Amino acid sequence: MTGEIELREVEVKLQEEVIIPRVSLKLEGPGLVTVIGPNGSGKTTLLRTIMGLIKPVHGWVLVNGEDVTGNPEAAGKHIGYVPQLSAFNKGFPITARELVESSLSLRLKPLRLRTPSEIREAAIRALGAVGALDYADKPISSLSGGQLQRVLIARALVWDPPILLLDEPVSAIDPAGKMEMVELIAKLSREKLVLVASHDPGIYARDSKLIVVVNRGIRLAGPPSEVLDPRKLAEVYGDSVMLVEKCVHLVDGHAA
Amino acid sequence: MLLDPRWFIVVGAAALAYGSLSPVVAARRLQFLAASLPHGALLATVLGIPLSSATGLPPSLCALTVGIPLTYMVIILVRRGVPEETATSVFVSFTASASIAVIYLVLTRYPSETSLWSYIIGDPLLVTWRDTAYAAAVSAVVVAMTLPFMREHVLLGLDRDSARLTGLRASLYDYMAYTALALAAIGLIRVVGFVLEHVLILLPAAVAINFSKSGAETVYNSVASAVAAGTAGVLLAVVLGQNPSAMVGFLLLAFYLTGLVRGGTG
Ligand SMILES: Nc1ncnc2c1ncn2[C@@H]1O[C@H](COP(=O)(O)OP(=O)(O)OP(=O)(O)O)[C@@H](O)[C@H]1O
Ligand SMILES: [Mg+2]
Repeated sequence: MTGEIELREVEVKLQEEVIIPRVSLKLEGPGLVTVIGPNGSGKTTLLRTIMGLIKPVHGWVLVNGEDVTGNPEAAGKHIGYVPQLSAFNKGFPITARELVESSLSLRLKPLRLRTPSEIREAAIRALGAVGALDYADKPISSLSGGQLQRVLIARALVWDPPILLLDEPVSAIDPAGKMEMVELIAKLSREKLVLVASHDPGIYARDSKLIVVVNRGIRLAGPPSEVLDPRKLAEVYGDSVMLVEKCVHLVDGHAA
Repeated sequence: MLLDPRWFIVVGAAALAYGSLSPVVAARRLQFLAASLPHGALLATVLGIPLSSATGLPPSLCALTVGIPLTYMVIILVRRGVPEETATSVFVSFTASASIAVIYLVLTRYPSETSLWSYIIGDPLLVTWRDTAYAAAVSAVVVAMTLPFMREHVLLGLDRDSARLTGLRASLYDYMAYTALALAAIGLIRVVGFVLEHVLILLPAAVAINFSKSGAETVYNSVASAVAAGTAGVLLAVVLGQNPSAMVGFLLLAFYLTGLVRGGTG
């Protein structure tokens, strides 16, 4: 089953401040949808609202037809998530494999679907898919940012969810690794609905079927060829849009 | 040298409880709460004395009835958006002042009821079988509320959003952790003493993290170091004629320093 996300007149306020004014949006999988926008524009807020982690002050969120508004438990049955690196606290010394295994077994717990050795194999397969086997048994507290991001991607896809929400999933990965991960994300998007938030639309442009530009609401949405027009982006980003060799780069201090 | 089994039972029970609680505190980053809780525990305990004589209920029960809701106060403040440092300062200022006021009252009104000193410095060598059974029961409950849910606590501590998406009821685990902390702090105050409590809550996991390469090892080492320090501490205290809590504290510190010298994990 490929995924489907629908927002109906969703409005989000955080501490009395409107972060997302009423928006309606329907995304159907499979395919890659890239959400771009400057820092503080509401990318993470949009993803967290879709996952039921933030309860909108108005409207409904439907995931695969199920009402998941403000209900992360319901949304989590359809969605694999990679949080922004800054939202992850790697203080406690559990290993990469323990992290992936325990997330998987917790998910399967009510169903007792698999034996410990099956869980272990699934974890190793997922870590292998993201090239993280070399450090699978190292504590996550000792991993670099890019290594940790690979492990977090493995955790999100280990249970083969129909929808993936990735919040700047490759921001700390080196250039060669980035291309490799983007390729993996593109491959996953052939069967799943994959939503990725990013500062750098360039790296996903070729593989995206839709680019959504947010800045306190959805400002622009369309295929890359339409949206990645420097003049249109300038309206959202201000002057921080550069055209480098026919490829749009956003300069916002955060972009790699 | 005569050794009483009760000493080892109470100290072992306390060590098991704190050794299991400590990784939860580290994983959930509840250090702010752990450091302020003993103040609430002392207040609840001294309040238990007049409450008990007024109601006829056992002082320990009165202390728990007052102390656990008192602990939830900090959490409610933090949940409302009060910064942790502020909530802790308010809690510590209130409970510390109030416990001194109540101690004063108890000392003047109920002079011979109980030795307040044992609540402050810990007194495992003077326990009765009744105290021993109580400490063992408190410890069993604390262990049952922490060890089986370690994986859940660790995942919640790493990133709460992902844990909630996996179906974890985050606030249920929050209250379980806070209740276990309050229960250990109040229920075992007589054994370990107010002064050393927060050290016992924080140090076992700190020791374990330095010696461990995985989550499972960390939990194991935390419990093991607490139990080792507890048992050896009682023996040392008997041999040296010293206070057991002090010995346990020094031993845990020695473990911690050894871990630092060894250069962290590895
Ligand atoms: N828990 C919160 N309480 C109050 N305001 C919040 C909260 N989380 C985010 N905000 C505010 O909402 C706005 C949008 O934040 P959000 O994290 O969604 O932006 P973003 O586009 O993901 O930014 P970045 O590119 O830096 O990750 C910001 O102004 C932020 O200050
Ligand atoms: Mg963000």
